[in-house]
Amino acid sequence: MTTKLNYHPDKAMLVEFSAGTLETAPSICISAHLHFCEACRTELLSLNEIGAQLMSEATPVPVDDAALESALDAVMAVIDQPQRVETAVKDQPNKSGFPFSISKLIANAESTLTWKRLTSSVDIAQFKTGQKAFEVALHKICAGGKTPKHDHNGVEYTVVLKGSFSDERAVYKEGDFLMRQPGDVHQPMGAQNGECICLSALAAPIKLSNPLGFLMRPWLRINPM
Amino acid sequence: MFLKKEEIVDKQTEKNSRVAVLNLAGKRSDQWSLMLVSVGENRDRQAFAQLFKHFAPLLKSFAQASRHEGWFPGLSEDLVQEVMIKVWQKAAGYNPEKASATTWIYTVARNCRIDMLRRKSNTQHLPLENEDFWHEPDEETPVTLLRQKRSEEKVQASLAQLPKEQDEILRKVYLEGKSHAEASNELGLPLGTVKSRVRLALQKMQILVAPEFQDELLNDH
Repeated sequence: MTTKLNYHPDKAMLVEFSAGTLETAPSICISAHLHFCEACRTELLSLNEIGAQLMSEATPVPVDDAALESALDAVMAVIDQPQRVETAVKDQPNKSGFPFSISKLIANAESTLTWKRLTSSVDIAQFKTGQKAFEVALHKICAGGKTPKHDHNGVEYTVVLKGSFSDERAVYKEGDFLMRQPGDVHQPMGAQNGECICLSALAAPIKLSNPLGFLMRPWLRINPM
Repeated sequence: MFLKKEEIVDKQTEKNSRVAVLNLAGKRSDQWSLMLVSVGENRDRQAFAQLFKHFAPLLKSFAQASRHEGWFPGLSEDLVQEVMIKVWQKAAGYNPEKASATTWIYTVARNCRIDMLRRKSNTQHLPLENEDFWHEPDEETPVTLLRQKRSEEKVQASLAQLPKEQDEILRKVYLEGKSHAEASNELGLPLGTVKSRVRLALQKMQILVAPEFQDELLNDH
């Protein structure tokens, strides 16, 4: 599962993730990358220490003993309700091989996660994530499938979850994290040896390079939900 | 001037790393981490009460530092309570090899603070909580305690030595809960400058392990 990856989120983005200030959709993409990337997981342990250190250096808010005791009593009262006690943090076994957050989104979507055909080579399944800034979706490219050449109207994050794909610049494998911005034109192609599934978060529709692009309507809108 | 400061940091880090090696008895030995382990293993109420008395005022100050949109002071008490309940409930999953009690409790507080805000600004059911983003894969890779302790010591020794402009941004991001974009607006700096100050701070603290970002195109936006 954990292999050496070539494409990682940038450090400043990891800092925002560690501080909890990164938006939901890019956070989902980072969490998917972490599932595959030991190096970034280790790095985040250190980045969390920055937050912990800043928190512990801050001047503690003076709380008088009586207030502290009564706050503790209130917490103990909640704790003593037996149904609130969780003994284990293990969640249901993750059979899909997908990152936990993605499995949870799939489980949450239940029957509503539907694959829709975008072109003969690409299917899409959109997730409900409770935010409006990005469309979050899975894209499935069939073996050897070509996607239309396109530019980006907004930022796009992509994490390869299964298989691999390539564009003019490189080959991207399971776990690789990519960010594309306006001006980055590319034409992703699925690997010959099997289908490729990617997670993507898209802030704006892509811009098709083909002059007849307007005919490919499903590509031209996004659906954040 | 600049070099001298670097040298001081290096010397301190070196000294601290040696201390870490000497202290390395295979276990983490600070009192809070031992107490947290005891809460997890033995449901130790006395240890929990001590943790509460130490961390509740820190958590309250962390809560009050928030400058998130929609955050108000009344939420601070709720946050302290919610975090400490989670500490009790999740203590069994605490792994002292990976983080000190302080770092672990910080992550619980960060997750709670975000989730409280997301619940407030959202009426619909949210399929993911912040801690879901931090779920470890099933076949977890072991981290060495030595490495972790070294990096903690690096952070402790060097955070206070950062230039003010870098320190200021880290505080905005970690304590106030501002994104880089928000910090850039408030400070009247280009976003690229904010990000490069963050990266410089990380370099100074020498805590980077992952390879650098590959794609230069994507740097300063």
